[in-house]
Amino acid sequence: MPMYQNGEVDPAVKALEARQDEIMRKLYELKAAVEGLAKTVTTPDADLDLTVSSSLSPQSSSSTAFKGTADLDTLLGKDLGALRDIVINANPEHPPLTLLVLHSLLCQRYRVLSTVHVHSSVTSVPPQLMSCLGPRHVDSYARHLFQLGFTLIWKNVPTLQMKFSIQNMCPIEGEANVARFLFKLLTPYPSDPAVATLVDSWVDTAFFQLAEGSTKERAAVLRSLNSALGRNPWLAGPEFSLADIACFCCVQCSGSASSAPANVQRWLKSCENLGHFSPAKLLLQ
Amino acid sequence: MTLRTYVNTNVLLIQNYSDYSCPVANNYADNKIRSDDTVQTTVSRSCHDGYRRADRVLVKVQDLTPDKADQLIWLRARVHTSRAKGKQCFLVLRQQQFNVQALVAVGDRASKQMVKFAANINKESIVDVEAVVRKVEQKIESCSQQDVELHMERIFVISQAEPRLPLQLEDAVRPDGEGEEEGRATVNQDTKLDNRVIDLRTTTSQAVFRLQSGVCQLFRDTLINKGFVEIQTPKIISAASEGGANVFTVSYFKTSAYLAQSPQLYKQMCICADFDKVFCVGPVFRAEDSNTHRHLTEFVGLDIEMAFNYHYHEVIDSITDTMVQIFKGLRDNFQTEIQTVNKQYPSEPFKFLEPTLRLEYTEGVAMLREAGVEMGDEDDLSTPNEKLLGRLVREKYDTDFYVLDKYPLAVRPFYTMPDPNNPKYSNSYDMFMRGEEILSGAQRIHDAQLLTERAQHHQIDLEKIKAYIDSFRYGAPPHGGGGIGLERVCMLYLGLHNVRQTSMFPRDPKRLTP
Repeated sequence: MPMYQNGEVDPAVKALEARQDEIMRKLYELKAAVEGLAKTVTTPDADLDLTVSSSLSPQSSSSTAFKGTADLDTLLGKDLGALRDIVINANPEHPPLTLLVLHSLLCQRYRVLSTVHVHSSVTSVPPQLMSCLGPRHVDSYARHLFQLGFTLIWKNVPTLQMKFSIQNMCPIEGEANVARFLFKLLTPYPSDPAVATLVDSWVDTAFFQLAEGSTKERAAVLRSLNSALGRNPWLAGPEFSLADIACFCCVQCSGSASSAPANVQRWLKSCENLGHFSPAKLLLQ
Repeated sequence: MTLRTYVNTNVLLIQNYSDYSCPVANNYADNKIRSDDTVQTTVSRSCHDGYRRADRVLVKVQDLTPDKADQLIWLRARVHTSRAKGKQCFLVLRQQQFNVQALVAVGDRASKQMVKFAANINKESIVDVEAVVRKVEQKIESCSQQDVELHMERIFVISQAEPRLPLQLEDAVRPDGEGEEEGRATVNQDTKLDNRVIDLRTTTSQAVFRLQSGVCQLFRDTLINKGFVEIQTPKIISAASEGGANVFTVSYFKTSAYLAQSPQLYKQMCICADFDKVFCVGPVFRAEDSNTHRHLTEFVGLDIEMAFNYHYHEVIDSITDTMVQIFKGLRDNFQTEIQTVNKQYPSEPFKFLEPTLRLEYTEGVAMLREAGVEMGDEDDLSTPNEKLLGRLVREKYDTDFYVLDKYPLAVRPFYTMPDPNNPKYSNSYDMFMRGEEILSGAQRIHDAQLLTERAQHHQIDLEKIKAYIDSFRYGAPPHGGGGIGLERVCMLYLGLHNVRQTSMFPRDPKRLTP
């Protein structure tokens, strides 16, 4: 049977090609779905009232996970008719990776207006620090359309500092404390006091021993991480928490990721699979 | 016996041998300028003497450093102080903000008469000195050149000052607090302004106006680099532009005219004439009878106007970026001047963010309400409220410069474009430095019809602004801009408290001279 008749492709051949393309496309979709499932099987359940599925748009109001402004009013006090702006002063020599991760989580939960500034006490800052909060929002010309402001200022400060309400709050110092504040805007701490204390303890360990400690201290932390992760999928038990965010960022920052013990390696991979940590990974490159 | 010699051009020097017994009588002299015939003929005959001197190199005081040690140099400077101590005379020689210690001692190089001559030179006289530069062991704290002193061989007075000065320069530079504590004099502002020529010689004044020159230069350079064109606008105009009472009238042949309150109309006409982005630097005249620390009747306006593509925030971004470049240029290149001013007028260094902080008017009102101020949503900000808001912004964001965007329409001039999304507000903005307003700007109405309506709403006589409205009838691009006052910007950058300190010859309701 000739393939070409009168210089044109036989319509039967065309139909065959079309079916073949369709089958290939379905195969690729299946492959992607299976890979996704494989990741979720190896990664322990991590429900933070946030989902990682890319099909869920951040502005979806039908999802029960996004509770909207009412939450912010209880957490931060009544809205006085203007943008609630969180100001963070950070030293460009020590970019706060944990806060960048929490920022991207906040963006999924609320309408956040993010801006980055350089203070006059610093001469210049590398371009990746200027773009670390992502691209400028399309609506950023109208500040009142947003629920929360996240203003990052690169400044020559000895320790990281956060300012929110000048009248009612003193400045909060230290990346650990600011991380706790921001995390509580997303979801409350575990109600069991023992678990809550455990989370806090890991956060402190991350920022003091892992990030700033000597080689011996870091090795000791990695060993205790290893034993904790042998018992539970996440650091503070079955649930993903601020402890995991803090420890992941500090492990990556201290450069100990490659030499970490087996459970820690597995846990690092699980964290990455969740997808929250891409802003931090971008900066580390 | 008298000799006539010329120095440089045509200043006549007569060397008087006042004391024939002085062995070094050639090495020092006074000056007397004569205006009789003998001078004239001598001028034509001996003027080439001056040219002969033209190859003598005069060293600058700021270049007197240890690497010139043991060199014999000439310099021209003012006598800042002169003090005789037994067989020695110490002079401090000053050039602008630099000074150096010089001494002459009785010995083989100088006689008793010469030392006495040096001690009697009036302060502020201009002298030519030939001296050897010597290193000193102990730093001379009171001079700018701390590591060297001059051992004078020859000294000639070029221009003598009168013995009684209306004010003493050390007094004019003394910080106010110090004067009270130690019982020493300071000079009050009116005396300084009345004798401005002498007051401007102080280190502080020199530093202030050099910095001001830098601001102008940075303003021009930044805008030229952004593709702006500099224009000159007329200052004698036929109608009051900003509307209202604060114009100076001048007689203009058989009729009268006004001095321009701002280049507003002409900037906009340039935009309608396709210049796209313009700026101008020129005087602005406001006949406001305000005797405050920040108002002058005449000041230098730095004005910007530009067409934009899609949103008036492009204009805000351009203006704020220009201001930030100016601040950076001052921070990086004028630290000496800033420190000099701070010695007499201590203040906190100026802080800013890049990109500039932009808050909305409603946010400002919310911050003020949180601090206990009661005001309506559409009220204008009073001066105390502006200062309070400046302090609140400083506390939260640690910046002395920010923009307040989206002012209420009711408090802005008639040519301001209303906000398309909310008729109560407008596309207008103010910029603040250290809590005080330095710029009021907006997107302008570029449609003749809408402009006419807004003018009628503000009850403005349309006949008076006919030429203005006409300029928009033949195609006008959307545009906006704003203007700053040079003196006010310098005053606020340096943290000074009176705009007269940054105006060379200030004009206010009570002052017309010098």
